[in-house]
Amino acid sequence: MEDENLKTFLIPNDLCKSAGIAGTWMSGNKIGVFPYHNINHSSKDAPSQYTKNVPSSVFHVKHEVVLFHPILRRLVTESMGIFLNLQTVVENKPSDYKQHLQQFSVQYRSVIRASLENLRDEVLRATGEERETLQNFITIFYSVECIWHLCEILYIENIPGHVVIKHLLEWVRFHFPKYERKAAFLLSGESIGSLESRQDYWETVIGCLLQGRVEVVRALLSCHSAANSTHFKLADQILKSMPTYGVYEGVSVQEFNLRWKHWLVDTQSKIDSKLFISEKNLHLMMRLIVGEEMAWSEVQSQCEAWYELLAAWLFYTEPTVKSFELGAFAKRCISRMGTRMHHLDRVLLAAMEGDVQIIKEIQHMTENGWFVTHLMDLLYHCEQLEKWQTDKEDSLKLRHSFVFEYGNTLAGHKSLWQLGLNYLDHCFPDGLAAIELLLPRVPINDESKAHRVIQEAQKRGLSHIAHSVAKIEGLKSLRNDRMGNALVWALRSQDSNFASFLADKFLKKYVDTGILPNVDLLSYLGSCMMASDRLIFLGKYYQFNKLHKDKSYREAAKALVSLIASKFTPKFFWSTLLSEALTLLECDELLLSSNDVFNLLNAVEERLDCLCELDELEPLIRLGIARNLSRALTYEAQYT
Amino acid sequence: MFEAAEINAEHKDLIHDVAYDFYGNRMATCSSDQYVKVWDQIGNEKWTLTSSWKAHSGSVWKVTWAHPEFGQVLATCSFDRTAAVWEEIIGETPGPGERGTRHWVRRTNLVDSRTSVTDVKFGPKCLGLQLATCSADGIIRIYEAPDVMNLSQWTLQHEITCKLSCSCLSWNPSLTNNHPQMIAVGSDDNTAQTGKVFIFEYSENSRRWMKIETIITIMEPVHDISFAPNLGRSYHILAVATKDVKIINLTPIKDNSSIQSGLTKLDVQTVAQFTDHTCTVWRASWNVTGTVLATSGDDGCVRMFKMNYINSWKPVTVLKGDGAVIPNDAHRGSIASSTGVLTPPITQTASYNDSGSMVRNGVNYTLKPTNCPQHIPPRLFKRIRQSFNSI
Repeated sequence: MEDENLKTFLIPNDLCKSAGIAGTWMSGNKIGVFPYHNINHSSKDAPSQYTKNVPSSVFHVKHEVVLFHPILRRLVTESMGIFLNLQTVVENKPSDYKQHLQQFSVQYRSVIRASLENLRDEVLRATGEERETLQNFITIFYSVECIWHLCEILYIENIPGHVVIKHLLEWVRFHFPKYERKAAFLLSGESIGSLESRQDYWETVIGCLLQGRVEVVRALLSCHSAANSTHFKLADQILKSMPTYGVYEGVSVQEFNLRWKHWLVDTQSKIDSKLFISEKNLHLMMRLIVGEEMAWSEVQSQCEAWYELLAAWLFYTEPTVKSFELGAFAKRCISRMGTRMHHLDRVLLAAMEGDVQIIKEIQHMTENGWFVTHLMDLLYHCEQLEKWQTDKEDSLKLRHSFVFEYGNTLAGHKSLWQLGLNYLDHCFPDGLAAIELLLPRVPINDESKAHRVIQEAQKRGLSHIAHSVAKIEGLKSLRNDRMGNALVWALRSQDSNFASFLADKFLKKYVDTGILPNVDLLSYLGSCMMASDRLIFLGKYYQFNKLHKDKSYREAAKALVSLIASKFTPKFFWSTLLSEALTLLECDELLLSSNDVFNLLNAVEERLDCLCELDELEPLIRLGIARNLSRALTYEAQYT
Repeated sequence: MFEAAEINAEHKDLIHDVAYDFYGNRMATCSSDQYVKVWDQIGNEKWTLTSSWKAHSGSVWKVTWAHPEFGQVLATCSFDRTAAVWEEIIGETPGPGERGTRHWVRRTNLVDSRTSVTDVKFGPKCLGLQLATCSADGIIRIYEAPDVMNLSQWTLQHEITCKLSCSCLSWNPSLTNNHPQMIAVGSDDNTAQTGKVFIFEYSENSRRWMKIETIITIMEPVHDISFAPNLGRSYHILAVATKDVKIINLTPIKDNSSIQSGLTKLDVQTVAQFTDHTCTVWRASWNVTGTVLATSGDDGCVRMFKMNYINSWKPVTVLKGDGAVIPNDAHRGSIASSTGVLTPPITQTASYNDSGSMVRNGVNYTLKPTNCPQHIPPRLFKRIRQSFNSI
């Protein structure tokens, strides 16, 4: 039993066919596939039957994400801005909440429109494969726009009494602007000669009539050379007196229906008395507006899509149709036009039927979840989703699953990852956990990116990730022999072992070369040196070193004594430290008190094991200590 | 829609394992030819072989990366009864204009096993640098590098005897105070009539690893086992590759006896079981967030499974090996450009087709039954030929 949505893709490789394949996930949407045949420890370890002449290849298979195309970058970033604003508004729940949601819907649509226009410009410039890709995008986003607009009318916009016909007409006019443009051209007076001599004159008039543009139709008719004849005047009269329903016009539905019927009967009687028969197009129009079946059959071929016909037909036959009644009418239109149902048609029908099927259909659109995520999020906040689900909990889960998926997709991209995180933030509870997994995996190729990752981690209180990233950057610097940089990162990572390891490296370098690297960094260590004992030692040693260099011997001596007393001195550093002590002991000026010298002597006694390799140093040190001690004792006896 | 890029792995025999580093930018492969190779992604989607060395004196079964916090570190295990830890280092003497050559050195050779070492995995990074191996004689070993800055010192911390020949192991990646360290081990033994998946937990009280569960519902040999990355759930998800694909939820239960013993008690539930492969399943791999499982089986397919919003698992995509090689002979001449893209034979603008899926280039990618699968189209199929001599 195979699921009908299960997709199969073939890897064109002989070895993959004969041996079989296995797959390992990489990052994001990529999987590595390789020829694989299970051989285990119980078989003999000998060259396999597959060794002959067929090379083993690894195939990196990735899901193609159209959203990653640079041309759609603006769509992705701008829609994120809208998404985030929407979430803020929803959290605050203002009283005019619904109004806001409708605003957001319009904003989303204008982003789609902007990218469509951008695509149209680009497609003219592009060639070959790229052109084809862009045309494909246009098809996708055109459908998205069309469906979104309808969903906005049906589910998001708050239409009084659910009388949608005006909105439906607007929707149709927006997506089929051909007649309107033509009419504008004809009326602009730029065409030469009488209008009716143009072969598209009547087509335009009827097209406008179908889209409910009664005013335009009247204007076009008035340009006809026979406009002053009785039947034209009569037709104009009828169109002018046609009642239209509007909630704010203070007319109830019943009253409107009454007027409508009057007008119908009146018009019908005029048609029946063959007042328009001399002008066949005028006659057709009059028959259309009273909803005569035969007339509609004549013009339906002028409609490009069933929903164009639907809006026109409803306008003249069911002007007070409610949004939830659309489904049945839509089906009638479809069978009337004999439309072969394409994907877009199915989605629109599902939307009109108010069917949960719409979610499935939208999911199958190939723009990687941009549409379904944003629309479902909006519908969820409009409390529409829960009407399709058995309980509220499920609708929340559904909304989360789309946002999660979309956030995941973006987070796997090398430059869109931050946008992805913003979506995952609004997807409780899995979102933060996913961020914890995805954020540390953002490939870092320079330090500024590392800083950005750390910033994002800290923003969300994920300090362990910030530390880990810093540690890895530190290791990288160390590999490249940039010790100072490594130490800076080690301090950020708060990894004391790592800091100690680096401090040791600094000290060892000093032992080997007599030069302390990165002194400017060490001078600014400050309280950061508390990260590890070894780092404290390094910091203090640097201070001593500096004093010594500046010839402040007295202070230097003090620092040295405290260094030795601290017992933080690493084994390998003792001899260096003591030979430096020697210079101070032998200084002309008396720098060390008897107490200090005793401490020094103690330390030497304790560390004899470290000194034994340098036996020429030991007697020197002892001599220095003894001489300094005698000087100190004499001095102290004299002056205290 | 998928696109594929081919990398000639240059192994002289079958590849047993492919592992990607933490970021998915480096790839390690191992093979029956006893070699391990490391590949780096340089620039956009271009993979270059940067190291290749003979790692063992037998088939290399598995290769795995340590967390980058420990540096560039790999572990391998082999038929030659050893496991090894490798570290990439940069030569001390940089040549003019470049920063010294990189090469991998063997930091340690773990020779405790007397039989083939069948799997090797690094533990979660918060435990420091730990390494678990399992072997054909049924012993699981946990090693540790006490000083993470010095990878040449490893100590064998624990030996756990499992009685049955072990084929695979997986660390539980979710580690908080609520979840002690946990390892799942699978056995490919086909004689004993017992459960083939064992769950071990480290007991802080006794400082030993204890077996806390044997999943008795799986009696058939197990070939691969993998914990899903944890998305903050209170339970663990385990994928098992055996005669079919099984997804098992392990939920810790807090009751008196588990509090007294200090050991976790698990509620074991098989939440999904897929026989789609129709025969033995060899490998199971989770994506980064643990939302999609990819399994490989004897039917020559990689199958992907995904959990939907009401927590039920569904098959989503199938990849299948197919012999119909694209005519790349003509293409080989211009291989120097390394990413030669074949031009599409058909040009047709996009439109919606009947089945509701997008049609591009006249190739319908969205397929209904699996009996008419489609090729990944040649134009998206980039053949990248790696030159061994260039390194």
